[in-house]
Amino acid sequence: MSLTDLMTMAKSNKMLQRQILSQLWEVHPDECFQCMRCTSGCTSLKLLELKPHEIVLLTNSGFVEELVSSDIIWTCASCLKCRERCPQKASPYNTIMALRNLAVEREAKVPEVYMKVVAQILETGLMQQVKMVTSREMQPLNRKKLGLPKIQCPDDKFKSSFMKALGG
Amino acid sequence: MKVAIYWGCEIPTAQYAYEMSIRQVFPHFDIRLVDLKGASCCGGPVRSINTSAAMYLSARNLALSSQTGIEDLLVPCNECHFMLSETKYRIDNDEKMREKIEKLLAEERLTYSSEVKIWHVIDLFHDLVKVDAVKAKVKRRFEGLKFMVHPGCQIIRPSEIGRVDHAERPIKLDALVEALGAETLDYSEKLDCCGAALLHSHKDAALSLAGSKLKAVQSYGVDGFVDSCPYCHMMYDAKQEEAATTVGGKLSLSVLYYTQLLGLALGVDQEKLGLHLNQSFNPNKLDARAKNILIPRGNLDDRL
Repeated sequence: MSLTDLMTMAKSNKMLQRQILSQLWEVHPDECFQCMRCTSGCTSLKLLELKPHEIVLLTNSGFVEELVSSDIIWTCASCLKCRERCPQKASPYNTIMALRNLAVEREAKVPEVYMKVVAQILETGLMQQVKMVTSREMQPLNRKKLGLPKIQCPDDKFKSSFMKALGG
Repeated sequence: MKVAIYWGCEIPTAQYAYEMSIRQVFPHFDIRLVDLKGASCCGGPVRSINTSAAMYLSARNLALSSQTGIEDLLVPCNECHFMLSETKYRIDNDEKMREKIEKLLAEERLTYSSEVKIWHVIDLFHDLVKVDAVKAKVKRRFEGLKFMVHPGCQIIRPSEIGRVDHAERPIKLDALVEALGAETLDYSEKLDCCGAALLHSHKDAALSLAGSKLKAVQSYGVDGFVDSCPYCHMMYDAKQEEAATTVGGKLSLSVLYYTQLLGLALGVDQEKLGLHLNQSFNPNKLDARAKNILIPRGNLDDRL
């Protein structure tokens, strides 16, 4: 049976819901009884209006399409309080990560920084380039000047394995 | 003893003070750090894109660690520590994921071993070196100084995968600061998140999270704020001035890595600990009592 949200006329989508559930391991959103412990301690609730218990409820009701195309799944600060405090092993954190993965797969709106990081890892193995820093007295300094050893980046074989990992 | 060390990305590309102070303090406890060769990102930021690719990255670094023949692996970044521990827990218990990742690792002739023991700076000192041994090495005690500590989020949660300290009442970092003769105060904002994960997508919210915690800590009148994660430190130190604009008022709180504070207590030169890189650390702002202890020979003072 497909549900209809009478506010938006959105229909639930069982196929996408199954896709989310298949990504989760030892996490059971369907056991959530909406106690809201996750939301009451959520870092992003006050500033960004993230309500983890609603994310779990919408996932359980099959409104996955709506979540995947919403900015709200990108407001999680990954503080892991919801995962720690959930009494039902329904961890909204893991559900949010699965929703983000699905958003990428479906080419929905994804904050630019995440794609940039992947491109950078493919280039050097690390998520950002080695930075020049300044001391309090505005003296520009790098690893060499600070007496730190050179970074040994992974070789090309790593790139092809990482590409495969991203593809599968 | 030898301990392998995985630096991650943020420490070796930006947070040099953490790397410098770690390299300085461990030899004092007869611990030789062995850098992993060809290490990559832990996969933390990749998790949002593709969870199994992120776990492949973590597993690869764990495999590089096993390759050194050393059982103990030090991971000083909170995010890397979480990602590596989460991956280890998953592949040790989920046959399907393990097979998938082992296949990818085989292309680089790497093998994953579940024997590796993951440490953070905090539990390595607290549980392996032991607080009393830290106490015994201290040359300069911070008697009369008050600090507040920030353990961060990802090394204390979720407890099911085995974490560094208690999820709701972490006390190990406090004990380690107290081992240096200082006092630590408990505070209600202790578990608040630094906001770093939101910095590039929701900047104002991220700065506001950092700012409100700093404002609270400052209001308790402590001599300094001690952390041990490159992301938290970046938010509280380099971004402190910017964070102040989101909460109103001025912030001037000295933020230090635990390894920097420990280094000072061991008598290590300030510049070797990268203390000149801490944007928030202003010896002139500290009261006379703190100044005498934190600035050993007055040389930094002369230059300022």
